[in-house]
Amino acid sequence: MSKEVKLFIGPNHPGMHGNASVHLYVEGDTVVRSRLVPGFLHRGFEKLMERRTWMQNLALIPRICVPEPDINEMVYAMAIEALTKVEVPERAHWIRMLILELARIASHLMALGGIGGSTGLYTMPNWTLADRDLILDIFEKITGARIYHMYIVPGGVRKDLPEGIKADILKLVDYIEGRSEEFENLLLKNRIIRTRTKGLGVLTREDALKLGISGVALRATGLPNDLRKIAPYARYDHVQFEVPTATEGDAFARFTLKYYEMGQSLRILRQIVEKIPDGPVNIRISEGSALRWKVPAGSVYAHVESSRGEYGYFVVSDGSERPYRINVRGASFPQGLYGIEKLLPGTRIEDVALWLATMDFCPPEIDR
Amino acid sequence: MSSMNDKLNEIMLMAGQFTFSEITKRQFSVNIKSSGLLSVLGLFRQKGFTHLSLITGIDRLNDEKFEVVYTLFCWESGETILVSTLVDRKTPVLPTIMEMWPVARFYERDVHEFFGIVFDGNPDLKPLILENWSEIPPMRKDFDPHKYSKEHFPDRKYNADFLPEGGGEDE
Repeated sequence: MSKEVKLFIGPNHPGMHGNASVHLYVEGDTVVRSRLVPGFLHRGFEKLMERRTWMQNLALIPRICVPEPDINEMVYAMAIEALTKVEVPERAHWIRMLILELARIASHLMALGGIGGSTGLYTMPNWTLADRDLILDIFEKITGARIYHMYIVPGGVRKDLPEGIKADILKLVDYIEGRSEEFENLLLKNRIIRTRTKGLGVLTREDALKLGISGVALRATGLPNDLRKIAPYARYDHVQFEVPTATEGDAFARFTLKYYEMGQSLRILRQIVEKIPDGPVNIRISEGSALRWKVPAGSVYAHVESSRGEYGYFVVSDGSERPYRINVRGASFPQGLYGIEKLLPGTRIEDVALWLATMDFCPPEIDR
Repeated sequence: MSSMNDKLNEIMLMAGQFTFSEITKRQFSVNIKSSGLLSVLGLFRQKGFTHLSLITGIDRLNDEKFEVVYTLFCWESGETILVSTLVDRKTPVLPTIMEMWPVARFYERDVHEFFGIVFDGNPDLKPLILENWSEIPPMRKDFDPHKYSKEHFPDRKYNADFLPEGGGEDE
């Protein structure tokens, strides 16, 4: 006769990605029911944004998501540009793409490190976080900051690229490509990792579509659904890249796709360095002082493909100096809340952290 | 984007007259009455808008209304449609769309928590993110976070010993 026991994973737990709590009901080692208890990271961003001017929000929004803050700036800028009907200069589009792809690689590196962290393979996070730091160095050279850049602004980017950055980026691309064999040997060909992740947390295509899951979790079920291809923003329609897919839908497929996506991002970076045009990098979106920008009244939804899936802002303006309402669509909202209830049961306790890591579970964007 | 217009015209014929406007070349918005919500959303779903991106609540305090916007996305064409509906601010009740999009359960729970809009048929409208919240729903425009903060987190009294000589910056 087995007995059901309640277990709490998080808000402070080494296998937890950020502060959220997962309540597990287990029988033996197997989860029978589970539930996410969010809210530990609720900082009230949406309300704070309503009380700040359009320009002041630039300093606030990157803080919503720590591993990949640039997507916030991008969707915010895209939404304001759609409302003001401003056309961003060509060079700014390419610089934005450069920043977004660097951020994607940095975020994927961190996520791959997370796989190592949840399986006890601590070499992986040590390596990937060291490599991520090289990307942060590039960010520091371009934007002046390592984590929160506040660089993509409505109307373009804050300032032009510094001298000699192209050589630095090419050096970085070469270095990360040179690391691929080591990463593959350590992670993808690792027998223990393969045994633990193959067949874990299988997500079917029907479930993924029904629950509204996007990103690698959806692409691991065989659909090449990537917003960069389906609804291209910036200049993603001017660069060549592929959308890696898999059909297994399990944890192994999900993190392998992340790894292959990094390769595609490196490919995009090379093309950006080669094709980036000269010219101005920003344009005024409104008359007068930047602190007194006025955005025409209207509602718009702007979304991008983040490293975890569809990330978007719903922005409402009433024509004044402050946003009327901004709603954040966190990429991991569906799998974080609905996925944990519906898909996590059946998993063993030791695999819960792996499930969360490969499903791209990110509490800060759920709590906001 | 003629395909989008064709689709919208077809849906307009099926669901009766409503106005739609172009926001960007891949994004349209439609304003509908709350009574027709389920049928119109169902039609859009049939026409390929199978991905529910977001449910947003907006407090239109001056009009005494809540606006609720359903953001639908079509993975095939990359088009977004914003289905917007208004409910009375005093009795804000809308039907749930959980039957069509199960994940709506949590979006509706979120909107219920932050605006107080009731989604009829959703069994799970418990608080989601806030803890021990006894005020009016905080995303409403008549909620003043500054006042709340002053009441709940009073300014700390500092001992004068901790201030630098000359009284410090505040003086």
